[in-house]
Amino acid sequence: MFLKNYRTVIFVGAIIAAALILLSYNLRYDTGTSVLKKIVMEAAEPVQKMFSASVEAVENAWRRYIHLVGLEEENRKLNKTINALQEELNLYKEGNLEAQRLKKLLSLQDTYPHRFFAARVIGKELSMISKTLWIDKGEKDGLMSGMPVLVSPGLLGRLTDISWHSSKVLLLVDENSNVDVLIQRTRVQGIAHGAGSRGCVLKYVPKIQDVRVGDVVVTSGLSNIFPKGLLVGKVSYVNRVDAGLFSKIYLAPFADLASVEEVMVLAAGQQEPKQREKKEE
Amino acid sequence: MIYYILLPLNAILLVVLQITLSDIFFSGRLTVELSLVAVIYAGFRLDFVKGIALACLMGLTFDCLSGAVPGSFTLFYLLIFLLVFFVSLRITSGKLYIIAFVSLVCSLLESLVLVLLYALVFQYDLTGDMLPVLVLQALLTSVLSIGFFYVMSRTEGLRYGKTIQTPQRTWTGGVSPKT
Repeated sequence: MFLKNYRTVIFVGAIIAAALILLSYNLRYDTGTSVLKKIVMEAAEPVQKMFSASVEAVENAWRRYIHLVGLEEENRKLNKTINALQEELNLYKEGNLEAQRLKKLLSLQDTYPHRFFAARVIGKELSMISKTLWIDKGEKDGLMSGMPVLVSPGLLGRLTDISWHSSKVLLLVDENSNVDVLIQRTRVQGIAHGAGSRGCVLKYVPKIQDVRVGDVVVTSGLSNIFPKGLLVGKVSYVNRVDAGLFSKIYLAPFADLASVEEVMVLAAGQQEPKQREKKEE
Repeated sequence: MIYYILLPLNAILLVVLQITLSDIFFSGRLTVELSLVAVIYAGFRLDFVKGIALACLMGLTFDCLSGAVPGSFTLFYLLIFLLVFFVSLRITSGKLYIIAFVSLVCSLLESLVLVLLYALVFQYDLTGDMLPVLVLQALLTSVLSIGFFYVMSRTEGLRYGKTIQTPQRTWTGGVSPKT
């Protein structure tokens, strides 16, 4: 009867007593690793391993992510630096090339005893009907229509349309261009007529005249437009077989029309009263 | 029966998870006392015998895996279970703040008994170094218990259609016929 009435209390008391005995025993005698402990540890080992593996996997993924974020940031910075350096390098390259071109242009001043205006090409028109350049100097800078335009090593064309601050240059190869020239070696005279992609055609040279491929052609100075001795081009083709009085001769201009960026406008021979007055003043 | 078969495995899982979480989040300085929360849950929601079994096993597993003096946590958890069980006979445990408060008190009590045990048996004074940690741990246990009870209540709802706990519970943990 007593047991039945107090069985819960007895049960609780017994369990607490067992726990106390266990604790006291372990406190009094250092039991080390007991069998029970070993069993629990053995049972817990796979679970612990599983958790550790999971945590490690997550940690690794996180570290990789952080690493990748760092890499991305570093990559962005390096790309920025590369871009900045490339821009800088490009500037230096451009500067160097420009300096070389200007040096060549300036060498024209030593070659020809004339006054020059340097100008930058701001536009090109190399269509079927018109082959012109647009330069950034005009009337305000002292340019006048008809002035010869040169690039190293020779003639490029002449000024046609002049505005206040810009001008158009009619190229040698334009079909409307005619330049009075002579073959340097034989002093045979002719007219260099623009022929587009073929360069120029040397007109009115009789078949009996000695003209060879490679002969240098210079301005004759007979017209008032171009002074004598400006390099025009080289003879690239000679044909005396066709019918007619004159040979068919093609010229290859010295000036590279495709890559021209700066030009020199020759003012000598065009020194008009205005300029003379200015000088006298 | 299945409960008693699965209990050791669950105890091991819970204690290992507790150790792992403590290691991840607090580098082992603070213990995420899931086992204590489980004992408190048992005190509130399980019947007496099942709860005693859970408290004993949880304590024993924790003793074995934590490196504490074997029997110490078994005794603590038993006492805590009994305390919570008797409290749950007096008060309704539906409110989460009551559970949080009881968990806080239980955790502090556990820490107090631990400090006393070490002071009496090993002459270690843990109050200086450990006191802030123990207070933090009690707060953490309190917060954890809210989450744990919420999750368990949802699980019970899914499984039984209602929670085990009712406003008035009996020794066996069942529903009182009066209620």
